[in-house]
Amino acid sequence: GALGPTSGASCRLLPLLLGLDAGSDLGRGFVPASEQRPLQATACECLRELESCKPGLLGGSLGLLRGLLGQEGPVQPLSLLLALALRNTLVLQSRVGAGLGGLLTDKVPPTGGGPWDWTLVEEGDGRLQPQAPSWPAAEEGEGERSLTAREHSPEEARELRAAVIQLLDTSYLLTPVAQAQLLWLLGWALRGLQGQPPALFKPQLVRLLGTAQLTLLHAVLALKAAFGEALFTAQDEALLLRRLTLAAQHPALPPPTHLFYLHCLLSFPENWPLGPEGEEAAPLLLGPQLCRGLLPSLLHDPMALLARLHLLCLLCAEDEEEEKGQLPSPRHYLEELLAGLRQRAALDEGPRALATVCFQASYLVTRCLAGQPTVLTPLIHGLAQLYRVRPMLASHFVDFLDQVDSELREPLKVVLRQEVVSRPGRDEALCWHLKMLAKVADGDAQSATLNFLQAAAAHCTNWDLQQGLLRVCRALLRAGVRGGLVDLLQVLARQLEDPDGRDHARLYYILLAHLAGPKLGVALGPSLAPPALASSLVAENQGFVAALMVQEAPALVRLSVGSHGVKGPLPVLKLQPEALEPIYSLELRFRVEGQLYAPLEAVHVPCLCPGRPARPLLLPLQPRCPAPARLDVHALYTTSTGLTCHAHLPPLFVNFADLFLPFPKPPGGAGLGFFEELWDSCLPEGAESRVWCPLGPQGLEGLVSHHLEPFVVVAQPPTSYYVAIHLPPNSKLLLRLEAALADGVPVALRTDDWAVLPLAGDYLRGLAAAL
Amino acid sequence: MAQRAVWLISHEPGTPLCGTVRFSRRYPTVEKRARVFNGASYVPIPEDGPFLKALLFELRLLDDDKDFVESRDSCSRINKTSIYGLLIGGEELWPVVAFLKNDIIYACVPLVEQTLSPRPPLISVSGVSQGFEFLFGIQDFLYSGQKNDSELNTKLSQLPDLLLQACPFGTLLDANLKNSLDNTNFASVTQPQKQPAWKTGTYKGKPQVSISITEKVKSMQYDKQGIADTWQVVGTVTCKCDLEGIMPNVTISLNLPTNGSPLQDILVHPCVTSLDSAILTSSSIDAMDDSAFSGPYKFPLTPPLESFNLCYYTSQVPVPPILGFYQLKEEEVQLRITINLKLHESVKNNFEFCEAHIPFYNRGPITHLEYKTSFGQLEVFREKSLLIWIIGQKFPKSMEISLSGTVTFGAKSHEKQPFDPICIGETAYLKLHFRILDYTLTGCYADQHSVQVFASGKPKISAYRKLISSDYYIWNSKAPAPVTYGSLLL
Repeated sequence: GALGPTSGASCRLLPLLLGLDAGSDLGRGFVPASEQRPLQATACECLRELESCKPGLLGGSLGLLRGLLGQEGPVQPLSLLLALALRNTLVLQSRVGAGLGGLLTDKVPPTGGGPWDWTLVEEGDGRLQPQAPSWPAAEEGEGERSLTAREHSPEEARELRAAVIQLLDTSYLLTPVAQAQLLWLLGWALRGLQGQPPALFKPQLVRLLGTAQLTLLHAVLALKAAFGEALFTAQDEALLLRRLTLAAQHPALPPPTHLFYLHCLLSFPENWPLGPEGEEAAPLLLGPQLCRGLLPSLLHDPMALLARLHLLCLLCAEDEEEEKGQLPSPRHYLEELLAGLRQRAALDEGPRALATVCFQASYLVTRCLAGQPTVLTPLIHGLAQLYRVRPMLASHFVDFLDQVDSELREPLKVVLRQEVVSRPGRDEALCWHLKMLAKVADGDAQSATLNFLQAAAAHCTNWDLQQGLLRVCRALLRAGVRGGLVDLLQVLARQLEDPDGRDHARLYYILLAHLAGPKLGVALGPSLAPPALASSLVAENQGFVAALMVQEAPALVRLSVGSHGVKGPLPVLKLQPEALEPIYSLELRFRVEGQLYAPLEAVHVPCLCPGRPARPLLLPLQPRCPAPARLDVHALYTTSTGLTCHAHLPPLFVNFADLFLPFPKPPGGAGLGFFEELWDSCLPEGAESRVWCPLGPQGLEGLVSHHLEPFVVVAQPPTSYYVAIHLPPNSKLLLRLEAALADGVPVALRTDDWAVLPLAGDYLRGLAAAL
Repeated sequence: MAQRAVWLISHEPGTPLCGTVRFSRRYPTVEKRARVFNGASYVPIPEDGPFLKALLFELRLLDDDKDFVESRDSCSRINKTSIYGLLIGGEELWPVVAFLKNDIIYACVPLVEQTLSPRPPLISVSGVSQGFEFLFGIQDFLYSGQKNDSELNTKLSQLPDLLLQACPFGTLLDANLKNSLDNTNFASVTQPQKQPAWKTGTYKGKPQVSISITEKVKSMQYDKQGIADTWQVVGTVTCKCDLEGIMPNVTISLNLPTNGSPLQDILVHPCVTSLDSAILTSSSIDAMDDSAFSGPYKFPLTPPLESFNLCYYTSQVPVPPILGFYQLKEEEVQLRITINLKLHESVKNNFEFCEAHIPFYNRGPITHLEYKTSFGQLEVFREKSLLIWIIGQKFPKSMEISLSGTVTFGAKSHEKQPFDPICIGETAYLKLHFRILDYTLTGCYADQHSVQVFASGKPKISAYRKLISSDYYIWNSKAPAPVTYGSLLL
């Protein structure tokens, strides 16, 4: 179209913008002198956006832009444009391993003011590749290349340094946010560039460190991350950290800024980091003294509280061997704080947010201070107490139990269960108690739990409560509780008012009475399918369906056909099974396509484990006609989780040769006479043919010994072999292999079954290749 | 280093949606880059409606927090910065920079110039700090001098034009939107060479410099064994320099009297061109000693046209200006309260106003009150369960005043009486509100000699000072009170 990359308008756009930018006559003609500057600035913005979307577009105009910046152009737009074009050019050049050449000094753009060929950058989007900014943790691979590929001639390096200094020297004329952008761009451009000391940035740093501007401090951190010790000595690092600590709590700054600085502190790019990368940690230099003002108190809003709590936890974790008597100990303070949070969460009228923040804080503490009983024990008891005061927080407790490690979960479950069952309930909290108990009930303390349920059953007068009660029963069923539960379920099946509840109780009773423990556990496990209907019975039913019915599953077992054995009156297929996961009670079912053989018996394997060699399976075949066939294979098995699965395996192929059997030896011994007798008996009903059987390097002797050995009746090695093959049910195939040449042997063959002839021909022709 | 979109949303609790999008803008070229940079992890910018809903949910600003909702209330969903991931249509939009201030939610989505999966560290995304500055800039613009809703609407209607200048193509060039406004108005002024981008024109007229120092003092007083009372002064120095010339060089100094308290934690305006290392390193984090730098604090700078905050500081003065003592005891159906306040002798006893607010949370309306006061008057707000003790302009000669009495409350009705999660049982506070003009607690001042101008003409210097209370709490010493870690360090 009119704005396509090759249209006239597009070709004129870039030179037009560059012309406007340069304040050339082109621009002057447009507007009065007073509007020249805004026009130049706008042209710069447009060019910057074009360069952002098509990196490298202005690579050829670097010299021009530099010149403009030095003369009279508007400083900020030109600085940003030049920095961006420079960054992009350096990144692109390093990708192809090229130098800057004279790009920084050429004052004339490559188009010379003529139309611009957009197709030059039409690899377009390809160039706009995801680029890691100057942050070491965020870069992979890309950085290595940039380190090695970028070398410039001394002259190039000098020009580059001059350009960067030119940009930095006038940077104070830029707005703070634009200064920050300039620093990010230049930091990114110069990172890993040899011969470009990052000390160029040093004169700017003190000025920047004094400000409270978020963008400027963030840009300084980016420089810190990019250049590390090359730009920041240990003392500089300490100063930066102190300024950051100060900014994270300065009362004059708004709360979102505090939080971001706090995040920066915990992700601080240290010169010599100790901990694992990518994890939040307190920098080494950030001791307890520095953190003093950053610790949480109940007066903070939830986000600030959690952010500061994280810092406090990190301090406590470091402080494991804390000096006794040091007051106040961070750990003691942490305990008090958590107690305060629980007290707030326990408030009757309190909004949910208060409870949420209490559990979030507890979770954060368990994450950071796992394995520290001095912290976790009081936490567990505090939470149990909170539940006692405000059982309606049961949902939060259930969620908390789901999220924490077993180190905390198991002891917390025990105390919560005690909290519930020690208070036979008839109050309004009963529904919460049942919800809680459904989560924490297990095989322990059965009688107390059952007593509680029995007492509760009388008060479960509505559907909700009955469902709650049944959910606890279900949890007990899963945990393998049997004794008293049978009685309880029977009572419930009779007594509950709601028919749905009675049905459920009866269902559980039946399951309990009929299923073995492990199966029951699986049957009552979480439903695999999302419930299609809101009805609880339907939802639950889907769980049963999953557990009690056969599941269609991908094949967890592989079968391969093993070597051919020729003993006995029937051809036998030797199968080698291999399991991908432990499976039990495997039944393999086979179906012959086209009913070429009699139906096959199923094969049973008690247990298959991956990595453990299994005995080969023998599958006797009863051909109805002597032809190769395809076997459809199905597997039925039980997984270690107790599910019964059905899988369709890839088909197996029975080859023509798999059907070969030797003729039983006649009483007088097999010899030429026996063979001649067979040979003659084939005609006239049968068929005769001659086939050229190609020979490989092994010659006739090798071919026979490899493929036909069991069937040879008369042999005069290495020149002549008479072969008699019995093809069940009652066909014969007779071969005379004589007078071999170097590359093949003529085979005379006879059979009493004409249908065998093409199969035999194919077989013989394929022998050499099959070796 | 660009923004993909920006929103201003007014928070309207009680309405069906709980909010309205007042302004939104998307940047298509940035979005195009996002699609390429983010690759498979790209999530498009949603429509206003779904965005509003998801953001309010995430910020807990919807009215329905009755039930536990896992995607919001789960203990593992911990957000520690004002940067969120919003679940919209099964995909997570990240990072969304957002905060609520004065019932307006400011939100934007910075461009991340790489894949989002795995999420890059937040600190490595340059657009995040830019996004914050952008939103702070809009907030400053909307609320500078804004008094009512119609003014807000006028300013909102100016935003599209301003952002065209301040944030063309989604790249923020100037967080000070006022500059863009002036730029629009004075576009025809011929700008000379080396004009700073943050200065949109030049001043013509009589040279004058005004410096005003505002100190806020906050305090937490417990009157308890083992818990230290804390107090802190936070100063803001605001300047307006009306000086001719493109870039006049000015040095402004802040001075302390001999017994003044050193300024610490100094943060300066970006127009300050260099900083003494003593200023940079004086910090409240260190233990105080006599060698602390006590000025004069010199700030060489090239001032912008408009009024600006030259610096912020904190200071630790030796004593709080007013020492308080508050006792509250529950006696059957009533509360007995006793309050003593003492003004320190060094403090200027000439207030613009001075009041003590005594709220009673989590109780019913005040039904009965008996009291005795040595000074001032007591106002009773029965429905709000609040007493205000109006102390007036001066403390009496003794510098000490007291109030005692008993208060009885009626039955609680949830709508009218305030809920407070901290003031439970006997835990209670009183809060002091006061203002003293022409005074600073640190002693910090600026005078005729404080300003050096390296330009023609001697400017007229005017200097102002005031002290304001802020978060000045005195806790009931007979009940537990929330403490900070600092107050446990004795």
